[in-house]
Order: sequence, then structure tokens, then C-alpha cells
Amino acid sequence: MSLWPVGVASPCMQYIPRAGGCVNEIPPGMFFYHPELIICPKKYIQGKFRAKHFYYDQGADQYRAIFLGDLAGWPGWDARRIDFEASTGMAIGDPSKAPFVGVWGTAWTGLSVIGSYGQLWGIDPLAVFHTLNPLTMEPAAGSIAIDTRTWTGRPQYSCAVVNTMDDFFAGVSSWVVDCWEGMLTPQRVRVGRLRLPNVLGWMTYESRNYCWFVTKDGFILKADYRIPRWEMISKVQPSAEAAVGYACAFDTKRKRLAVLRMLNDAADGACRHQIEFYYPMVKPAFLTKPVPVTSKRAGRRVVLVANLVGDAGEGITPYTVDAEMVAPVEGRLVTPFSGTELGGRVSFQYQAPDEACEETIKLTTTVEEQL
Amino acid sequence: MYEKTFESGITTKPTSASGSWLGMVFVFPWDAFLLSGSTELAKVFRDGTKVQYAIPSGGHTLLSRVGGYAAFYVGDGKVYGAYELDQLPNPNEVLNPLWPVPYALSPNSQIGVMVDDRRGLWLRCANQNALGVYDLKNGALLKTVTHGAGEYLKTLSWAQEGQVVGVGPSGKVRVIDYLAGAVVETGRVDAHMLAAYDCAFKVTAALGQDWKMRIYCREAWPHALSNPAFEPAQVRGLQANLVRVRLTGQDGEPCPDWWVHWSLEAPGGPAPGRLDRYVSKTDKDGWASNFYFGPDDGSTGQATVKAWVAVN
Repeated sequence: MSLWPVGVASPCMQYIPRAGGCVNEIPPGMFFYHPELIICPKKYIQGKFRAKHFYYDQGADQYRAIFLGDLAGWPGWDARRIDFEASTGMAIGDPSKAPFVGVWGTAWTGLSVIGSYGQLWGIDPLAVFHTLNPLTMEPAAGSIAIDTRTWTGRPQYSCAVVNTMDDFFAGVSSWVVDCWEGMLTPQRVRVGRLRLPNVLGWMTYESRNYCWFVTKDGFILKADYRIPRWEMISKVQPSAEAAVGYACAFDTKRKRLAVLRMLNDAADGACRHQIEFYYPMVKPAFLTKPVPVTSKRAGRRVVLVANLVGDAGEGITPYTVDAEMVAPVEGRLVTPFSGTELGGRVSFQYQAPDEACEETIKLTTTVEEQL
Repeated sequence: MYEKTFESGITTKPTSASGSWLGMVFVFPWDAFLLSGSTELAKVFRDGTKVQYAIPSGGHTLLSRVGGYAAFYVGDGKVYGAYELDQLPNPNEVLNPLWPVPYALSPNSQIGVMVDDRRGLWLRCANQNALGVYDLKNGALLKTVTHGAGEYLKTLSWAQEGQVVGVGPSGKVRVIDYLAGAVVETGRVDAHMLAAYDCAFKVTAALGQDWKMRIYCREAWPHALSNPAFEPAQVRGLQANLVRVRLTGQDGEPCPDWWVHWSLEAPGGPAPGRLDRYVSKTDKDGWASNFYFGPDDGSTGQATVKAWVAVN
């Protein structure tokens, strides 16, 4: 399985513009914590927003994010909760009216992940997991505490999927995912460990069985954290510019993954973050060249092999690949079309003539699905 | 030399300019190769197309595993399996729980290793001319198989049940039946940087120093054709005289199923006698044969039998 990009909101949000636009220099007697944000050509009082929290609120059918960034004036930093429409990915409302959430919960709580029952879980500075107040990102009143430091091996995790319904826990430390069963009991046991291909960028919950990861370099993985087992690997869409970070959330209503790609601000200071939507469905990215794997001799039947794969090299099945010989043709193409199989592999057979010759075979496939 | 069926027109370089490739293994469920480098892990297809998908971590050394999978050796002596989906090291699966592999039997940049955990075997070159087969439970040397390559086999790839393909850095190939303890086939590919055996189509893939992927099927490419020789040497008229040639590869291996063209020539005129046929095919040992019939009209003279093979 792969991921199919089905939409993008770019940019998905805006900063608060400075009244009066940019200035060429700071007037004497005035002090700004981040004057670079308003000196021409930059003209916004906010800048360098980075998501500290990003999740899908199923009840409100919105994506919610809490950003930490710079503010030109006092206090020099900004912590805002910005909500996004789940269908379009666009920020809701005037950026100047985005709630200021305060820095303590936002900055000192590790990245939060929605768990079962729609509760938001995150770690405190002591790496203890709590359900969080979504407005302040501080431990919610009456929250149970999950202290993994008391578990066997004293593990500490930066984030986790907490499934209180089935008593499963999948915690991430750097690029290792530990999957635990019976987390709320002394008999808890680590049922397995998964290894990410790179350091974790973000993690999100899908269901009582599945969760998603995006690495720092944009690889997306889906795991069954109860077995545990990797289910899928794919990649974000290629981009000319490297992202400064990724966040992700799974829209359980529309069954698609939203990836917040954070980019450096534009030359005029505008925010360029974008939300990309991916649907879990195969999408071919490229078809490799046909390679002869048997002797290329006059009078022989030659087998040629190619692969139809997605962006992350995952094999695509079932697809039909057509072949044709480019004129002038000396031999005969025995298989004018073939279906992809294991690993996206597709095989063709060519009957060579009895004399030496040079031939060209062309492969094509048609992607008919549209989302 | 094995016949080269494909040479890539693209290069398969590491993404990072400072990166280098360290190992290559064919992964059967992927139908592609896993390339392990200093800065990345990548999936590479037969045509050389590369897709980077991971960053290496934990000091894992890639090695081949029975069935066409990857396995990883870590410095503490443990050998781990790999996840089916992405072939990353799977810490949940230790293939040698009873015997930590010592440094002396570990894989390195010059010596390849193959682990057959189904039969509990660890395969590694004992020296430059022999493959050692060790017990995965306790490291006991069960047998050595002499391959006579004269160099360490840098690549050891699982080929089929009970067989492993070893490739030396100079390109020497040895197909070894490690259960029966014998070399079943010898061959050669070009000198290269990394190699792996594709057990799906029984071809050898080699990544050259020029970063190009080359595919070789297991059929010998002709290197030399012997002079026609009569058997017996005395040629007599009025009878069929057997004449044979042998087509061999670079290492003297036979080249079967090649068409050999024959002709009869004489200086300054038609040659006396005739040949039975003007094309014949080499047999499994590389021999092609023909018959020369001497003149039946009592004439005398000199004739030369010529043979040649058309190689593209």
C-alpha cells in the first residue's frame, strides 16, 4: 500500500500583519525583541512558528495546532492555538484572534497524541504521561499518570499512543517504538519493538490497532502497534525546498492523513506552512526500465523484468503494464501486456530473431484512479 | 565470464556526496536490492533506480539470509532479522540466541557472511580458498568447502535451497552447495564495488566502481574457440572424419548452446571434399562437431577447416 496525495492547503495559515507595513529601521527610543520581523521587506509581527502540538479533534471535526514562535514586540515569543478546517486544511478565523495559550503547557509538554476516547496525551518535564487540557496543554485535572520510568528497563518516551480501551501503549524514543500490553497493570509486558527509518518527526493515532509516524525526513509509516508490525511505508510529496519539520494527524472521519509541512517563512515574512492530505491508497510513482534477465542470443526467448513502484519504492499491485516494440522490429513480443505481481514486478517475453539485431521495448501503464 | 545482459545508463550513487556503499542484498519480497551505505539505506532495482528510505543506525552490518532476506550483525555478536516491510533491523528477532558471533567470524568489508537460520548454519570464508560452514548454536566448524577462488568472497548471497553464491571483488563467482560440500558452478563477472545474487531470476547484480548496475545471467560468455581438431588425427578419404572445436569462457568454462559456423577453404580453388554441415551447436561441455568427407573422385589437395562463432 502507498499514499495518494489528494489535496493541499498552501499556505494553510497567516501571521498577524503589522499595521502600517514594514519599517526600514527601528525608530530611536523603541525596542523590539525581534525587530527582524518588521524590517523591510518583512511585514508581520509574528514569525518562525513551529507546531508543538497538532491533532485531529473528532468531536469538532477540526485540526488543532499550537504553535510557538517569535513575536516582534513584548514578550518576544508567541504561543497560539490555531484551528484548521478538516475538509480544506485552511486556518479558521482571523489570526489576530487566535487564542493565546500561554507558554508553560505548550513549551514544557512533549508533543501530544490523541489516544482512545479522543483524549490528548503528552509528557510532562519528568517524562510522565498525562491527559492534557487542550486549551492550556497542561495536565488535565483528574488525569491518570503513566510513569514509564517505573516499567521494566525504565524507558522514557517523547510521545506515545495510549490506548486505554485495550490497555496498549506504543511509545517512541528517538527512532525506536516500544509496544506494551497491560500498561496500567504491574503485569505489563513489552510485546515488541519497531524501528523507524529515521528519527521521529511526529506520531498520530488512528484507531485501536493502528497509528502513524512521519520521520524528520518525510517518510510516512503506518504500524499495527498491537502485533506489532509495520503495515506501510510511503513518503510525503517531493518538494523543491526541504521542510523544517513535519507534523501529522489522522482524520478518522475522512480516513485520510493530514501532514503539516513546516517551511521557512517567505522573504516578506509570510507563513508558508502547508497541510497536505494523503489517502491510504496505492499510487504509482515510476516504472523502472525493463532489464533482460536471460541470455540475449539470436533465436532465444528473452525475459525482461521491470517494477512499478510508489514514491518510497513500494511495489504497486495489481496494475497492468503494456509493452510495445519500437520500429523497426526484427523479433516478436510474446507478451504485449502483463500484470504486476510481488514487489510490483512485471515480466515480459521477447522472441529474438535468428540474426543479430538491436531492438527497443517501451513499457507504459495507465493510472485510471482519480481521487 | 557470465553474459552481461544489462548495463545501467544511470548511476546509483549515495545521496550524500560524502556517503559510500557498504553492502548489498537481494530482498525477495521486494524483488529489489537493499543497499546499505554509511549515510543511507536504499532500495535499488535491477535497472539501477534507487529510492532512499532510511538512515542507518546502531552499527548494523548487512548480511544475506536464507530465503532472500536481509539480516544484520551487531558488534555485540547478535544477529537480527529484518522487518518484512522495510528490511530494517528487527530487534524482536535474534537469529543466534545461543551463540554470540565472535569478531573473528563476523562479516566485514572484505568477507561476506550468509546466515541460514532454518538449518542453523553460519557461512563465512575460512580462508581465500575455502568456505566455512559453522553451527549457529555453538560456532563449531561443521565443514569447509574448497572453492579455490584465491580470494575472500566479499559477497555471499543465498541462491536456492542449500546453495549460496559467493563473489570475490575481482569478479570470481562460485556457486556452492553448502550441504553437499561442493562447488557446483564457477563463473565470473566484472570487477565491482558490491554484488548480490538475485535468487528470483538467478542473475548476479554488480554495482561497479563507476556506480553503474550490471546484470549477469549464469551463462558463460565465449572467450576462446579451439582450433578444429580431427579425431582421430589421421584424415582419410571416402569416409566421415570427425572434427571438433570447443568454445570456452574466460576461465575455461564450457559455453553450451552457441552456434558454430564451419567452412572449408583451399588456396587458389575449390577445396577437395566437403563438410557435413555448415552450422552446428555446442553441447553442454562446449564442444561442437562436424564431419569432413574426403573427395570420392580420387583427387588430392589441401583443405583447411575453419570454424568461427558470431558474438555481438
